[in-house]
Amino acid sequence: MEKEIISHEITKEILKKFPNSQIITVNHYKEVFSRPRQNYKLQELSKKLILAKKREKFLSPASSLCQNFGHPYFYYANLIVNCIFNCDYCFLKGMYSSANIVIFVNIEDYFKEIDEILKKHPLYLSPSYETDLLAMEEIVPFFSRFVNYAYSKENLILEVRTKSVNYTAIKNLKPSPNIILAWTLLPQEIIERYEKTPNLSLRINTIKRAIHDGWKVRLSFDPIILVENWKEIYKKFIDYIFSEIPASKIQDITIGVFRIPKEYLKRMRKKFENEITLFPYVEDIDAYTYSPSTKEELLNFISSKVKNYIPEDKIYTI
Amino acid sequence: MIYITIAFYVEGKPIIDYFNLKKLNDSSKFQIFNKDEIFLIISGEGNINSAIATTYLLTKYGWKNEDIALNIGICGAKDGGFSKGDLILCNKIINHNSKRAFYPDILISHDMKEASLESFDFPVRKYHQEEIEGDIVDMEGAGFFEAASSFLYSHNIHCIKIVYDLLDFDKIDPKMVQEIIIKNIFKIENFINSLLTLNEKYLQRREDKKIKEILEKLKSNLHLTRSMEIELKKLLKIYLIRYKQIPEEIEEFVNIKVNSKKEGKEYFEKLKNFLTF
Repeated sequence: MEKEIISHEITKEILKKFPNSQIITVNHYKEVFSRPRQNYKLQELSKKLILAKKREKFLSPASSLCQNFGHPYFYYANLIVNCIFNCDYCFLKGMYSSANIVIFVNIEDYFKEIDEILKKHPLYLSPSYETDLLAMEEIVPFFSRFVNYAYSKENLILEVRTKSVNYTAIKNLKPSPNIILAWTLLPQEIIERYEKTPNLSLRINTIKRAIHDGWKVRLSFDPIILVENWKEIYKKFIDYIFSEIPASKIQDITIGVFRIPKEYLKRMRKKFENEITLFPYVEDIDAYTYSPSTKEELLNFISSKVKNYIPEDKIYTI
Repeated sequence: MIYITIAFYVEGKPIIDYFNLKKLNDSSKFQIFNKDEIFLIISGEGNINSAIATTYLLTKYGWKNEDIALNIGICGAKDGGFSKGDLILCNKIINHNSKRAFYPDILISHDMKEASLESFDFPVRKYHQEEIEGDIVDMEGAGFFEAASSFLYSHNIHCIKIVYDLLDFDKIDPKMVQEIIIKNIFKIENFINSLLTLNEKYLQRREDKKIKEILEKLKSNLHLTRSMEIELKKLLKIYLIRYKQIPEEIEEFVNIKVNSKKEGKEYFEKLKNFLTF
């Protein structure tokens, strides 16, 4: 914990949840987070929480590898760095040298910066970009704070991407037209093999509740991973999704094949040798991904199946 | 390997006896003891000596990624909940002079107390209380940690301290030092064993011998270039991760001897297609 935020109200709230924790004070979170010779793979077995203060760059423009849904001002806010889930394909494994989770407790400073930006232009903001905000809500209530903040901001659109089934965090909040809950969904076979996250049927039940309560819901089939029998697996998956979720109630769908910045994959390969990291990808402009023909085949096939349920103008591919 | 740095022989004696370590004939200024995987060095007093001894030990005996380095010894405790004989795993180590702090990664459960250690260049007494930032104090931990951090993973470097006094000591009693270390030696051994298990399970890369052999043969028989070899190595590893065994069909490729680069490339493509689903 950084000494500067010991008495911050969010710090106190978090500490209440961990009454038996060992507290180690630091001057700056990078003393711990950016240490040399950390073992990422082993840290994943015992992740530590690092409480810090964000001092600058509260918002950043999103990567060109992300779908912007036609919004010119697409930014992300990293209130939390790293995630409680350990998906094999996650870019965070290549982005940071530590698997520990950093929470920047000074959410009020993020709101101040957003207020300033909104005076100049509209904003499409993802506050769950380098973490899963909803899955972290039991530890730090940033999701609800963001939702409450966003109600009154007409030119702000908030996209909260998640794999969580923590509906408790949502159920007492009022849905808002400028807040999109975006669930990442992949076939159960892929979840079991590469994710270690809540299973597909639990996620679908949570989505159904969110739709029922009036939330805008986006489905994100991203990253599409190439596996044996992929046509059969993805067809069964899409049919299953739309046999459970009313297609007309979905805001839109985004489909993207696995892609990762080159440097991140190189670093991931040093930490992990698995099917995801060792796959022989090809170099795209600034990322590694599947070959153009494979990518096209994957996107065409999956889009064509989704089109059976959802109008084309609601499907975004990347 | 387990490398242990200890300031004084009196602190090391119980550990030397417990693990049945024998003195090595070493021409350096340091006394070094060893048996099997354990090396123990007597560094002498102070951060600098501790750093020099640790570096000497690690470099002389060829450190590896999965090795462990420990600094074990007595310490003084400022106040607040510590008693004589308490065994402490340090979760922060501060160099009093430079104010640099070091943080071991504590990834395994243990049955020690945790505290922050501050290493001074002089013996700390009650009247230094206001200068102390850490919970406990010594004269070696920071030097040891900074040196070991140049080589090993942060989860494999630890300072384990046993409270000898509450900064009110007059003279160190060697008998008492040995008693409080002996009392805690099982817990220290348990900690070492837990670390060894963790490293064995997750760190040691079992580079599959079979893959190496196959690649050697393919390289020479199919005239593979270095980049082809790297690509095949990745594909074989993926195959092994997925199916837990190397396909029998690979033998057919291994036994082919090509006469030209073109022919080698053709077989390489066939092999690639075979290994990729």
